[in-house]
Amino acid sequence: MVLSQKLHEAFKGTVERITGPRTVSAFKEKGVLSVSEFIIAGDNLVAKCPTWSWESGEPNKRKPYLPSDKQFLITRNVPCLRRAASIEEEYEAAGGEVLLDDEDNDGWLATHGKPKEIKSDEDENLPSMESLEISEKSSTKPVSSFKEDEDDEDIPDMAEFTEYDNIIETDPSTYLVAHEPDDDNILRTRTYDISISYDKYYQTPRVWLTGYDESRMLLQPELVLEDVSQDHARKTVTIEDHPHLPGKHASIHPCRHGAVMKKIIDVLMSRGVEPEVDKYLFLFLKFMASVIPTIEYDYTMDFDLGSSSN
Amino acid sequence: MVEPNTKKPLLQFAPMQSSVDEGFWHRLSSLKLNKLGIDDSPIPVLGFFAPCSHPRVSNYLTLLSESLPSESSEASLIPEPSHGNRNRCSVSGILYNTNTVESFHALDKQNLLKEEARKIWDDIQTGRAVEDCSVLSRFLLISFADLKKWSFHYWFAFPALMIDPPATVVNLSPASQWLSKEETESLSAACNEWRGSKSTADVPFFLVAIDPNSRATVRLLKDWEACQSNAHKILFGFYDPCHLPNNPGWPLRNFLALIFARWNLKSVQFFCYRENRGFADMSLSLVGEALLTVPQGWKDSVPNAVGWELNKGRKVPRCISLAQSMDPTRLAVSAA
Repeated sequence: MVLSQKLHEAFKGTVERITGPRTVSAFKEKGVLSVSEFIIAGDNLVAKCPTWSWESGEPNKRKPYLPSDKQFLITRNVPCLRRAASIEEEYEAAGGEVLLDDEDNDGWLATHGKPKEIKSDEDENLPSMESLEISEKSSTKPVSSFKEDEDDEDIPDMAEFTEYDNIIETDPSTYLVAHEPDDDNILRTRTYDISISYDKYYQTPRVWLTGYDESRMLLQPELVLEDVSQDHARKTVTIEDHPHLPGKHASIHPCRHGAVMKKIIDVLMSRGVEPEVDKYLFLFLKFMASVIPTIEYDYTMDFDLGSSSN
Repeated sequence: MVEPNTKKPLLQFAPMQSSVDEGFWHRLSSLKLNKLGIDDSPIPVLGFFAPCSHPRVSNYLTLLSESLPSESSEASLIPEPSHGNRNRCSVSGILYNTNTVESFHALDKQNLLKEEARKIWDDIQTGRAVEDCSVLSRFLLISFADLKKWSFHYWFAFPALMIDPPATVVNLSPASQWLSKEETESLSAACNEWRGSKSTADVPFFLVAIDPNSRATVRLLKDWEACQSNAHKILFGFYDPCHLPNNPGWPLRNFLALIFARWNLKSVQFFCYRENRGFADMSLSLVGEALLTVPQGWKDSVPNAVGWELNKGRKVPRCISLAQSMDPTRLAVSAA
């Protein structure tokens, strides 16, 4: 499974190197974007939803077919108040007896307590191109955040050092935010940096997710899967190198993006709406919301597509 | 200590919080290996922040790989601020990266914080903070990068000058309640224009002048004198990364110190500017009045400062292990 994904990546990389970027528009015919259409759609997203911005990323990862200051789009610190995984588990629980807003917040804990479900799901799954390379790992070792990495037991735990008495700060003007998780729902809020790159092979945008816990410490990409619709979590969401940033990030695999966008465009056109290419990313982000339903990014913005009624 | 004002509630500020992007540690590691070696002199760094952009979460001071100077040998060791990005208001900071865990612990944190506070105070005294207000929110970062284990120990401080006795607050409420409907609409439009213009989008401290016809304009701090003549109300505005409904964020602290030291005001109407999804949100933004009863002598020496970031409520450093994405042997295994 891992091998097949690697082979596919190698194949994709080679194709990307030897083929030129798309220059002719096939937006309505295939649901894909040319490079210049991606820039037009990105400029419009940044103008209408100003929490998004263009960035240039790592200089050594820069793609020559994109302007150096418009390599990818990013919006940072997007809240995710609930785990998509736990919502679905609650929904599936018999008769909906688990309340979403249960005072004890049992629903939150349920995701961590049900590793078996994931396992059985995995056993049934045949390896496929879209499979996750991490799925086998996650069933054999506990998933934890980076700071608690089990391989690094010999790292001195700074929390055990208590000689920080040279910091004496008694300041009545500092508002101390409660840090006990039970006190405050907000502390269960994760945040996400969401970025959109241009995938030259599939000629579509591609979404990348970087997750942080409630104290803004990096989440292992595996934990990000709790915030992805479980229909997609171990199939279309993969963990790969980001094309413009260091490190591994969770990404929604773009192999079906063109086809789905084509369907959305067809539906619009059958209603007599002539879709415009600069609105592509608004449509695209609405479609992404089915994959990451609890991450609250700017997709809800009203946009005018002509005579559309949504 | 018993002033009449102590009956009024103290103005309490929500601390600034840090967020470090993985790319920052990657670039620090390669800088350390390829350029700095064992040189552990302090490095100028840039942090980025933006006003709160969602009613449920505060924004953070974020460090990215661009926060560090470029690795190429001819480049200077000072990172270049990128101007005009509304989601990246630059804040200058300093990084003390030690070579051993022992020297990390041995750093005199109290003094390092004092040193940064003194820089802020100097910029207030000389008037530089009025010309370039970004210097009001300096930060300090101490770290130990364990490149054998790919783990990073670090601790942020956001120096805040203490006003003694502390400021009290009256009438803190959402801007939309504090102002009239016409003023709210006008201020909202003026703020969106300020944030939309490349030359002012990342200027985090500003003045709001409201004329008798309820028309609001946003001005630079250096226009304070000019605003006096025709303004009906003047608010001291700042980009507030905090989302809490009853507390202004940390940047207001040094701003109040500036306002008091420079213009000697005893009562300051402040405006915590916040956004929702990138646009001015006047019900999330706050307006309040801070009352200062500071004795004259306060200005004669550098005020005390606070600001070490808590880690889950405790005064301890943070640690992150990036072995999974940085350790070559692990990368080789996962790539096999």
